[in-house]
Amino acid sequence: MTNWLLSIDSSAGTTVAVLEGGIQRAEINIPDNMSHAESIAKAIAEALATAGIKASQVSSVAVGRGPAPFTGLRVGIASAMMFAEGAEARLFGVVSLDAIAKAALEDSALLASLSAETPLLITADARRSEVYWALYSGLTKAGAPIRIDGPGVMKPAALEELMQQQGLRPIITSLPVSATKLGQVFEAQLIDGTADADVTALYLRAPDAVPTPAKKVTG
Amino acid sequence: MTSSWSIRTALESDVPDIMALEQESFATDAWSLENMRLELLAHHTVYLVAHENEHLIAYAGLSKVPASTQSDIQTIAVSPTARGRGLGRALMVQLIGEARRLGATEMFLEVRADNPVAQGLYSSLGFEHIDTRKNYYQPDGIDAWIMRLEFAKGVVGREPIVLGIESSCDETGVGIVRGATLLANVISSSMEEHARFGGVVPEIAARAHLEALQPTLREALAKANLSLKDIDAIAVANGPGLGGALMVGVGAAKALAVSLDKPIYAVNHLVGHVGVDILERGKIELPTIALLVSGGHTSLLLVRDLLDDVELLGETIDDAAGEAFDKVARVLGLKYPGGPEIDRAAVGGDPKAIRFPRGLSLPKDMEKHRYNFSFSGLKTAVARWVEVFENKGEEFNKADVAASFREAVVDVLVTKAVAACIDHGVPRLLLGGGVVANSRLRELATERCAANGIELRIPALNLCTDNGAMIAALGAQLVMAGRKPSGLDFGADSTLPVTTVQTL
Repeated sequence: MTNWLLSIDSSAGTTVAVLEGGIQRAEINIPDNMSHAESIAKAIAEALATAGIKASQVSSVAVGRGPAPFTGLRVGIASAMMFAEGAEARLFGVVSLDAIAKAALEDSALLASLSAETPLLITADARRSEVYWALYSGLTKAGAPIRIDGPGVMKPAALEELMQQQGLRPIITSLPVSATKLGQVFEAQLIDGTADADVTALYLRAPDAVPTPAKKVTG
Repeated sequence: MTSSWSIRTALESDVPDIMALEQESFATDAWSLENMRLELLAHHTVYLVAHENEHLIAYAGLSKVPASTQSDIQTIAVSPTARGRGLGRALMVQLIGEARRLGATEMFLEVRADNPVAQGLYSSLGFEHIDTRKNYYQPDGIDAWIMRLEFAKGVVGREPIVLGIESSCDETGVGIVRGATLLANVISSSMEEHARFGGVVPEIAARAHLEALQPTLREALAKANLSLKDIDAIAVANGPGLGGALMVGVGAAKALAVSLDKPIYAVNHLVGHVGVDILERGKIELPTIALLVSGGHTSLLLVRDLLDDVELLGETIDDAAGEAFDKVARVLGLKYPGGPEIDRAAVGGDPKAIRFPRGLSLPKDMEKHRYNFSFSGLKTAVARWVEVFENKGEEFNKADVAASFREAVVDVLVTKAVAACIDHGVPRLLLGGGVVANSRLRELATERCAANGIELRIPALNLCTDNGAMIAALGAQLVMAGRKPSGLDFGADSTLPVTTVQTL
């Protein structure tokens, strides 16, 4: 039986892919990061149609857990969760930065140049002049990125300082997330036995709200 | 203002009146009296007539041959004096319902190419322009548009099972109905997480929705003893409410619809509060005034038709009533949510001890804001009153303050709702929203409605607070009326107007 995977990531824009045994059969990318609620379901329907399969044929769903700003990330995870319920598919979470690392490490020259002092540093826009980041040392035999630190969120200057303190001179890369790569990370993790059913959102920031005492109305 | 017409099946004795309107409406191509009589009496047709003050003001007819799954609108005419009040739509909705009942799966009609008003009505009901017949209307030589409405698939001839998802505020609700019958209503609330903030924190509510979705869905299915494969359609509240919270439900519902290959209906949260009455009575008595009071809304609606004619008479111009309870509870050192706390604190208190202001109730305000509410000034007045005592280091009677504040809120709510009933000649009032849990609101509404001959409807409390069952019930009404499902690209609309019952 063919193993059909639906892969979804909404950590930045919307990216949806359908993979058959790890091979891309469809990928839809919508860079706009303000329209997840409007676009994800349609992108899923289109990706299934392009791949020529019915929703019920999907056996696994992989979803990007972020890190990402709040709203869009939730829509992607909620969609993946409910799709898996409806299609009776298994549901897995993937750290979105791992998918970026996977894409970057397809460059064999880059992969070969990695060392203990020169890991791969993946960053992504976290807004509020901060970046999300994670460090990678290479790929497993099955092809899953090996994350050695992160994911975290901090100001670029603080991140630079952290790298210096640890004596690291990382190769810094930032690329858009591709749902195909995210799906391939999951497939590799499945072989490695590290695939994770946890789809909890990686917000990395607490809600902004702080309890305040009631305001005085008299002078 | 109100729909004072009545619609019934046409009788042979209606033919002369119908012919008078026929000739007035279709001067150049009217049917003959004999043809009209035969058409009316035929077994394969359904004709409806509308009367107002004993005058026939409209008629419409449908043809559905038993062997076919197609139905056709034969004719529809509304007297010029009765136009623009939704009568044409009301007739169409009823005929669509009849066609579905007779087993039709689609409906066709012809409309003049030079009649954009009628085309607009049909489009809004889900009809699509599929073909054009040249020079169809003679002797004028006007083209005819052929329009078609496909009824929602798979549910013809039985009551649809609809799953509804609600996530507009701090309650994750999943409800399941079969037609007008409630099968499950599961609610997961993040209320406790908001307690230390004294009010709903949107980001916390949205995070909680994501976590609650799957368990709430599974519990609802288990309660209804159904699997997702049994669901005919999905409904979701896409507004009004908190944007980030709504988006979780919208994303979830759409993905569910795609994975099940079932139609989806994006419905209005506030109209859901009105439609929930169907689950208790099997139908909703209309027209009705509806007073919806919660932590996020304070709205007064006039509902003439649940799917097509909901009018916003007024709403709060600042805080919602539930918000006022929460804020005053903080002032009095009480916990969140404020409603039940203030109810408890008010026990034994004198509601007349302090005359707190009734917002927008002075004659000058009533001109401009007859049905609007304002609770911000009231909250400040209570805070000021309490601070005067605190600054002097004196004790005050908390029960009196709580009872007097509650009386001010409830008095304004009920006074304006009853006025709306009387002004519009509508002898019905429906309450909805979480604040309906307040004992004094129910008490005063019961008292004043009885005194004014108004029938009061208060649904069970778990149907008054935000819930998925009301969304499912409204979705089921749309399915049963043959409405076209929503597309997949609707979004969450935090300020969705009540006039938009369904977002296509």
